[in-house]
Amino acid sequence: MMNAIISCAMLNRNALKLFTILVAFVPGPVRAEETTSPGQAIYNKMCIDCHGKQGEGVESVYSQSLIGDLSIQELTAYIEKTMPEGEPEKCVGDDAESVARYIHESFYSVTAQARNQKARIDLSRLTVDQYRNSVIDLVQSFTWRRSLGEKRGLRAEYFKSRRRSKDNRVVERIDERVEFDFGNEPQFLSELIKKQDEEKANQAEKQDEKDKNPPVQDEYSVTWSGSLYAPDTGLYRLNFKTKNSGQLWFNNEREPLIDARVKSGDQTDYTASVILQAGRLYPLRIEYFKNKTEQEGSVQLRWTRPHHTEELVSTRYLVPESSSWTILIDTPFPPDDKSVGYERGTSVSPEWDDATTFAALEVADKILEKIESLAKLPKQKEKHRELLKQFCESFTERAFRRPLSAQDRTLYIDHQFDQAESDLIAVKRVILLTLKSPRFLFPGAANPDFDDFRVAEWLSLAIWDSLPDERLLQAAAAGKLSEQREIELQVRRMMQDDRTRAKMRSFFHQWLNVDHYHDLSKAEGLYPGFSAELLADQRTSLDLFVDEVVWSESSDYRLLLRSAQYPLNGRLANYYGVPHPGHSEFQTVSLEPDQRAGLLTHPFLLTGLAYDDASSPIHRGVFMSRSLLGRFLKPPPIAVAPLPVDLHPGMTTRERVAKQTSSATCMACHGMINELGFTLEHFDAVGKYRETEFEKPVNVAGQYLNRQGEKTEFQGARGLSEYLVSSEEAHNAFVEQMFQFVNKQPIQAFGAETLQKLRSEFVANGFHIRQLIGDIAIESAIIARRQKER
Amino acid sequence: MNHHSRREFLKHFGIGAASLPFLGNLPSLGFADSTQRKQRLVVMFSPNGIVPKNFWPDEEGADFKLKSIMNPLAAYQDRMLILNGLCDKIRGDGDSHMRGMGCLLTGTELFPGNIQGGSHTPAGWASGHSIDQEIKRFLQGKQESQTRFGSLEFGVVVPERADTWTRMVYSGPNKPIAPIDDPYQMFSKLYGQLKDRNSLKSILDELQTDLGKIRNLVSAEDRKLLDQQASFVRDMERELQHENPSEVGHAVPELELGVQDTNDNMPKISKMQIDLMINSFQADFSRIATLQYTNSVGQARMRWLGVEEGHHQLSHEPDDNNDAQEKLTKINTWYAEQLAYLVKRLDETPEPGGPGSMLDNTQIVWTNELGKGNSHTLNDIPFVLIGGGCDFKTGRSLKLKNVPHNRLLMSFAHGFGHHIEQFGNPDHCGDGPLELA
Repeated sequence: MMNAIISCAMLNRNALKLFTILVAFVPGPVRAEETTSPGQAIYNKMCIDCHGKQGEGVESVYSQSLIGDLSIQELTAYIEKTMPEGEPEKCVGDDAESVARYIHESFYSVTAQARNQKARIDLSRLTVDQYRNSVIDLVQSFTWRRSLGEKRGLRAEYFKSRRRSKDNRVVERIDERVEFDFGNEPQFLSELIKKQDEEKANQAEKQDEKDKNPPVQDEYSVTWSGSLYAPDTGLYRLNFKTKNSGQLWFNNEREPLIDARVKSGDQTDYTASVILQAGRLYPLRIEYFKNKTEQEGSVQLRWTRPHHTEELVSTRYLVPESSSWTILIDTPFPPDDKSVGYERGTSVSPEWDDATTFAALEVADKILEKIESLAKLPKQKEKHRELLKQFCESFTERAFRRPLSAQDRTLYIDHQFDQAESDLIAVKRVILLTLKSPRFLFPGAANPDFDDFRVAEWLSLAIWDSLPDERLLQAAAAGKLSEQREIELQVRRMMQDDRTRAKMRSFFHQWLNVDHYHDLSKAEGLYPGFSAELLADQRTSLDLFVDEVVWSESSDYRLLLRSAQYPLNGRLANYYGVPHPGHSEFQTVSLEPDQRAGLLTHPFLLTGLAYDDASSPIHRGVFMSRSLLGRFLKPPPIAVAPLPVDLHPGMTTRERVAKQTSSATCMACHGMINELGFTLEHFDAVGKYRETEFEKPVNVAGQYLNRQGEKTEFQGARGLSEYLVSSEEAHNAFVEQMFQFVNKQPIQAFGAETLQKLRSEFVANGFHIRQLIGDIAIESAIIARRQKER
Repeated sequence: MNHHSRREFLKHFGIGAASLPFLGNLPSLGFADSTQRKQRLVVMFSPNGIVPKNFWPDEEGADFKLKSIMNPLAAYQDRMLILNGLCDKIRGDGDSHMRGMGCLLTGTELFPGNIQGGSHTPAGWASGHSIDQEIKRFLQGKQESQTRFGSLEFGVVVPERADTWTRMVYSGPNKPIAPIDDPYQMFSKLYGQLKDRNSLKSILDELQTDLGKIRNLVSAEDRKLLDQQASFVRDMERELQHENPSEVGHAVPELELGVQDTNDNMPKISKMQIDLMINSFQADFSRIATLQYTNSVGQARMRWLGVEEGHHQLSHEPDDNNDAQEKLTKINTWYAEQLAYLVKRLDETPEPGGPGSMLDNTQIVWTNELGKGNSHTLNDIPFVLIGGGCDFKTGRSLKLKNVPHNRLLMSFAHGFGHHIEQFGNPDHCGDGPLELA
């Protein structure tokens, strides 16, 4: 019956109205013919004036709707203490319990909300990330793409003069990074040569070769080449540092990003900024030169990553092989709507539309600059028109993620070539029209039936936030994507891609809320040794920790919450008093397993979820409630500044927080928040372990009342971590948030049983995170298709 | 939808896609207040010194006779101020060509560096900004004289090489600005947005057609999103129709197509660049322009004049090599002809929104990095001033005695009402700006 009404509603506006009216009159699960329950009677008598018939609120009295996820028990306690407003004694005991039950079941709880408001898969535009990735892959589909692979470092060629000819090349090798201080020792090349010769001599014992060594020069040049990997999306500042001269070529063969051939004054730092998209390699070449008059030789490649401080480019991000040009889009886009907790494209704005126009112009200009090589135009001009047309067809086809219909071809291609003054202008018009087209910007809009191409597009957006690649499109063209087995094979292949890595990293940033950490600079004097550099190291450590878990064979979610092994560099190890092999690169190091519990106790989270001069159980508790347990928290009813530490000298943080949030209004949420946050009180505002605070022992006892009203008590981070590892709520929260990040749609839109199904599979697969992502992509594609076919 | 913001958006179009991310930092793109007088500065550079005997008038004062190199400018003798006796006093690192170039408009030393010239110590970039950029900052700092670009740097056949010999304009120490020597590149910097508008206009109908089609394919709930999108596209279409091309104040110049950036095309490129400069002044895109022919030690081969040798090579020949002197004279006369074309165009163009011609409000400066090529002297640097931009008293030939050129640089700033007390190396600013009014 319900289903019939919904499908009618899609066809007919009046039916839609009818449906709405029906819903309004059916009070939740309570059937109309049933008599009014005691809870409902109390609600109608005491609550309805302020909260409205269905808890929707009453304008000017209390306009917020009554929704949330407290258990009936908690709701009862809250009503007993606070409701009706001003006269809480009027509704207590059984009355409070029955009205709480009525509210909970008819509109308050998450399940009631889902029942009352049918979620659906909304038509969406590309999100900003999806737009940028799609354009990059679209243009790169005309060249080639290298993946990160295993090799690290840069290819280095050392030359004995300024001329970089084969004859002058004396050494060729892989350098882990570009960090050289040749000092005032011009003989460094001869050292290199000697070493090489010794190696050679050891192999072939050709001692006489040594005499043929080229005479050592005090002028020399070095070329480092390969690619740079961007782990995050954002603004990167590249820094070429040298006492001599040179050029840094980056993602552009026509002109260097940094031209420091002229050495002038004491300038040794040359910087340039670029906006890079994560999960991609960018071609890089350094041409370094030291001339005879210069006393010293030195050169470094440094960078400032988004949210980081300046540092040497670590060997982790360098690849000794070349890669192809990546189109960089400088046009800024307004951020996507993230109000529901994940970025989604269900709304458009004039600013967004403007950005797509600017970006289309920018992309068109950048493509036209390279059109000869992209369209593979030969010298002879006779074939140009045909080749340009072919280029445009492929461009549009790939952008629309499916073959062009005859009509599309006429409109998007032929028409432009017929009307434009020149073929190149026609190309520009095709690019503009394609990138502004709803067929590109709104995936699925033009295809009411969910065919195999739609499946390919669904999968590539889910796993890569980008266009389908050639193999996916081929599978779709061959009609293979109707078979679950083929879909599974494709997804397994797709999971290996760098773009998946990049998408996963940004999921974890969102899940862990890292972009909302505040008070990242700590109070002066309180935490000696804490610095912006240390903070950046913390962030790197967190990223590496998550990467290690997610991309290990077991990919085990539980390790995220349990592991006491963090990747640390020398500076972090030193700061946290952990033995470390010594050199500065990051290494996985074991910390005290009784103290540390995975993400919960990772220094970056603890530092980010803290004030500048004290830990913050509230921030930590809110994070755990929302992200780890998936609880719904309303913003606090009143804005409150935290009690300053020195106002209550000697009070522990726990005592201060408990005092400030003791009122019944506060406790509705803080009853949950505080008890979770307190368990991390062993860690101060920079994540260092402590047994005491103001000479009092730290109390890390906590508890949690789940949605079913079951209470669990635990001690400290480890106790909490073991609870979370076994908590169905926590598993659900992880699966649901992952699902929504992957698909940018609410999981409820995919049927009530989907979450349950995915969670059981997740548990059955040993909490395998990568498997979960694949399952989410496959399951959602299949359900979406089924819904359309119905 | 907010029409005001949409208008702003279209105005911003004027910047061209490449600079879009930096929109927020740009001054208003509206045209500067037209009730104020629009003073302009043009610095034209040609390299390798001149032939003194065929360049400097013998007479001093208002009654002077132009020598052969200057003959193409005869029609503008009364708008001209010839300044003999100005010296580039900057010493330190770098050879004369390098200092001649790098200190010409900056009036300050070069940093030590790794660029080795023919003699002297190696050097790097200039250690200060140039006078055109000083005046640009002054103009951009005031609402009424702000322009879209502030300054435009034109070049003609400048080598694809960034070094001390190829740069004369500096925005700051170690911050040389490369001249744009490709007229097509300059055109797209100036007018790129018009082409973009036209391209956009041409696709909007088709975009609407397809949007309309797709609209009918989606469910009623999803249609709202597409309808909103369609309304944005309609708004853009309407605004683009509204945009009046005459807003740029003049017809967009039509460039001859396919002129390659080669030595032999120098005459064509020179004319194209001057035409673009005139257009950009008409549109008030900028009030400061530099026009750099080749570079210091430039090797233009002016085959169209029958000169096969490179300019720099010829400039090293001794004074008694009559053939070389004759050729050098021809070369410099050709530069004077380019200047004459620029002056003529400014003279013929009425000042937009004001009385008189553009020449009345434009200060042209023709200069060079050396006094004379074979001696590499930095004394008697050529400075030929034309036009009324700085209100100097024209129709004169002055013979100054060993005056540091910093003082002239200051005079330009003062001519714009920008009363700086020193510029470049303060040791050479002793007696303040030259009194030329």
